[in-house]
Amino acid sequence: MKFHIIEQIALVAFLSSGISFFLYQLLLRLKIVLKGKLDFSISDLPKRLLRVFDEVILHKKVASGKRKSAGILHAFVMYGFIFFGLITINHFLTAFHLDIFNETVRKNYFYFFGAPWAILCTTGILGLAYRRFIIKPEALGKFSATSALVTVFITTLMITYLIDEIHHLNPFMNNTYAKINWWLHSGVIGGFLFLIPKSKHMHLVLSPFNIFLRPFEVPSHPPIPIDLEASEEELDELLLDLSKLSKDQALDIFTCVECGRCTDVCPANRGGGILNPKYHFILDLKDPMLESNDVNVVDKINVEAGWECTTCQACTEVCPVGNHVEKADAIRSFQVMVEGDVPQEYQKLLRNLQETGNTEGASSSELLQRMPEYTPDKELVLWLGCFAKHAMDPNFVKSVENFTKILDSAGVTYGVLSNEQCSGDPANKLGDKLTYQMLMDNNVEELNKVKKVTTMCPHCVVNLQKEYSKYHDIKYEVKHHTQVINDLLEEGKININPGSLEKVTYHDPCNLSRTLDEVDGPRNAIKAAAPEFFELDESGKETLCCGAGGALWWKKDTGEGRTHLLRAEQVIESKTDTVVTGCNFCYGMMNQGIGPLTPADQDKIEVKDVADIVAENIS
Amino acid sequence: MKIAVLTKAIPSYESSIRVDSSGSWIDESVVNFVVNESDSYALEEALQIKEQLNDDSEVVVVIMGNENNTSKVLKDGLAKGADRGIFINNENIDTDPLSIAKLFSEHLKEESFDLIFSGLQSDDLGSGQTGVLIGELLGMSTATLGIETKMEDGKIKVKRELESGWFQWVTLPFPASISIQSGINEPRYPSLKGIMGAKRKDVKSVSASSSGDNKQKFIELFIPKTEKVTERIEGDVDSIVARMLDILKNTLKVI
Repeated sequence: MKFHIIEQIALVAFLSSGISFFLYQLLLRLKIVLKGKLDFSISDLPKRLLRVFDEVILHKKVASGKRKSAGILHAFVMYGFIFFGLITINHFLTAFHLDIFNETVRKNYFYFFGAPWAILCTTGILGLAYRRFIIKPEALGKFSATSALVTVFITTLMITYLIDEIHHLNPFMNNTYAKINWWLHSGVIGGFLFLIPKSKHMHLVLSPFNIFLRPFEVPSHPPIPIDLEASEEELDELLLDLSKLSKDQALDIFTCVECGRCTDVCPANRGGGILNPKYHFILDLKDPMLESNDVNVVDKINVEAGWECTTCQACTEVCPVGNHVEKADAIRSFQVMVEGDVPQEYQKLLRNLQETGNTEGASSSELLQRMPEYTPDKELVLWLGCFAKHAMDPNFVKSVENFTKILDSAGVTYGVLSNEQCSGDPANKLGDKLTYQMLMDNNVEELNKVKKVTTMCPHCVVNLQKEYSKYHDIKYEVKHHTQVINDLLEEGKININPGSLEKVTYHDPCNLSRTLDEVDGPRNAIKAAAPEFFELDESGKETLCCGAGGALWWKKDTGEGRTHLLRAEQVIESKTDTVVTGCNFCYGMMNQGIGPLTPADQDKIEVKDVADIVAENIS
Repeated sequence: MKIAVLTKAIPSYESSIRVDSSGSWIDESVVNFVVNESDSYALEEALQIKEQLNDDSEVVVVIMGNENNTSKVLKDGLAKGADRGIFINNENIDTDPLSIAKLFSEHLKEESFDLIFSGLQSDDLGSGQTGVLIGELLGMSTATLGIETKMEDGKIKVKRELESGWFQWVTLPFPASISIQSGINEPRYPSLKGIMGAKRKDVKSVSASSSGDNKQKFIELFIPKTEKVTERIEGDVDSIVARMLDILKNTLKVI
């Protein structure tokens, strides 16, 4: 094929305008991202690279769960893009008679790479189009014109490529048609340069970087230290910071591929709430960022949606492009500390925390008084947490006693701290960082005098260990009781006899599985005691929140939302005899939900803590 | 518009109450003092009126008692947005509404407030008279049990909650003293800026004149005994009545 000088000039003009536009749009977004607070971290480089390999190259998240087939189709398209990189370069170079492929290479590349991938890529994109436009999964949202355009673009690219190559090997049409075909291919590639940056297709540029830069901690809310002696300027700066996104959050928003998986898994959304994380936590912030050319958009998050969030992190866990989706922490902190606008039931809770150091406003605890007090000769501090201490589910007191029975039989010495205050989890989750700090400072002072702490409340573990260390140098180690039990089992300090043959399942608490990454420990313990163990539909890190997270335990029942009932319903439908959990709040929610929801003709399901099932079957 | 909001620090519901060594008052050292519930609604109403007027209106929190018990409550009022505070230091324990009203009036008089808001009643003593008595002492128009207020040209309209689901709208000329019912609005939470700014706000500290004329005296304070005693009274009508009279007179000593 011969190219006229005018054609060459036109091509250069077209491509350079496309590339300029693309780069301009990309830099515009990067400039906004860099205005975000906090810096990107590149710590643990090998782990980050491995993550990119897993999630980009191997598509581990894209093709997970019920979206396996859609994920595989996506892989065809993505690999198509990668393999066609060289072909595209060669394509444009032919216009200047500078082809990098000699005839043999070109032919072999076509036979072994180009042709098969052109077919796979076309299959992929048509499959995805079938899913989007014919099956129409709800999560994908309304009709997307750019997606339709992309389908046409990619299909055209592949067909024009095939025609071009076949014609090259066995000319079958006149030069004009061949030229039109060549230009059509070029036009579509150029079109992508204009289409990508202003649409969700930006993910194909940004997602590898976003996955690489994603913080390891889930959630990864920045600490908000408050100095009550700060000057007015320092205070203004702190308040201004509360309205800003971090660099990582800003990059997330430009990377979003709009797949809606976050909304699909959101317990608030599934329970009939208004919260739609795809929009409220991500897409609603995109235009304000572009319009203001800045990251101070926290006040654009829907406040009501923010209060509905259980902070369970299912949205972040499922995101295929590496977003930390949840922004409840940001909008709640803004509402509480900047606006002073807090729902009344939460005001009561926060007042209780400030005045009495516990969530219930109680002046004493029967359980705390009954337990042996910690002295330095004892191995473990048994941190009770408000839930157990104030019998928020009276049955749970028995679970605490079962745990102490296990410790006793393993010969582990333990004691409680008489001045234990709430870990501050509800204040932290509600965005009242001042009350949180007050409780934390008290607790850290006491805990730094001890070495090992264990608690049955995963919320307490997360705070005592992960959250406190964002603010303080902590000198103690915290383990969840299921981890302690699992250690004792592995060390042979306790033995369990397999119990009855009833069906037993396990509900993973969000804080334990997603935040503390503890999935196996409690399972090992349960499986040792329950031969007929089976998994729920959503388990491990893909667990469904019980509905109590994010301080929603204290939310007054508005009568409409069903977030707090979804998991209990799933458990009932599983027809299990017993459901075991590893979190006092989950325990309380299961008891509250299962009782009234179980149909009359079904046997009542027993709710147990891991400590219960182990203690009952200890030998 | 100058608005005073009377607030009271009362023992929290969750506090463990015990009688002190005198036997006539509670042991305040183990009690957690918090703002009286309806007072926090009164403060919110005042703050909303100020915001609505959007002029140089002023909201002043007024509190009486000893410093230990009241300082937190006063600070909280300032943190929520009151412009300044008046602390009437009173080490005595006055319980009679009229003497309390007199002590307040003494210090409120010179301020010439256009509006005085108070909570409907205190959750500890529950007399529910202070606001209306102050109004009378200072020659103000008064209304109680306000569940809605509307500012009108030179007047304030108040919706009062009567019994059996009846309501009444009254229009009061200024100055007016109005007691506010709980639940009338959604009290705000102190923002960080409010909390930090409260430290710089002006608090006028005055001493209550010795309240020699307290008309009320607590002779003995006791925590009601809770015990389960069930006695089944059987027999004919006369013997049942006789037994019941005996219990009421001699055991329970109520007749």
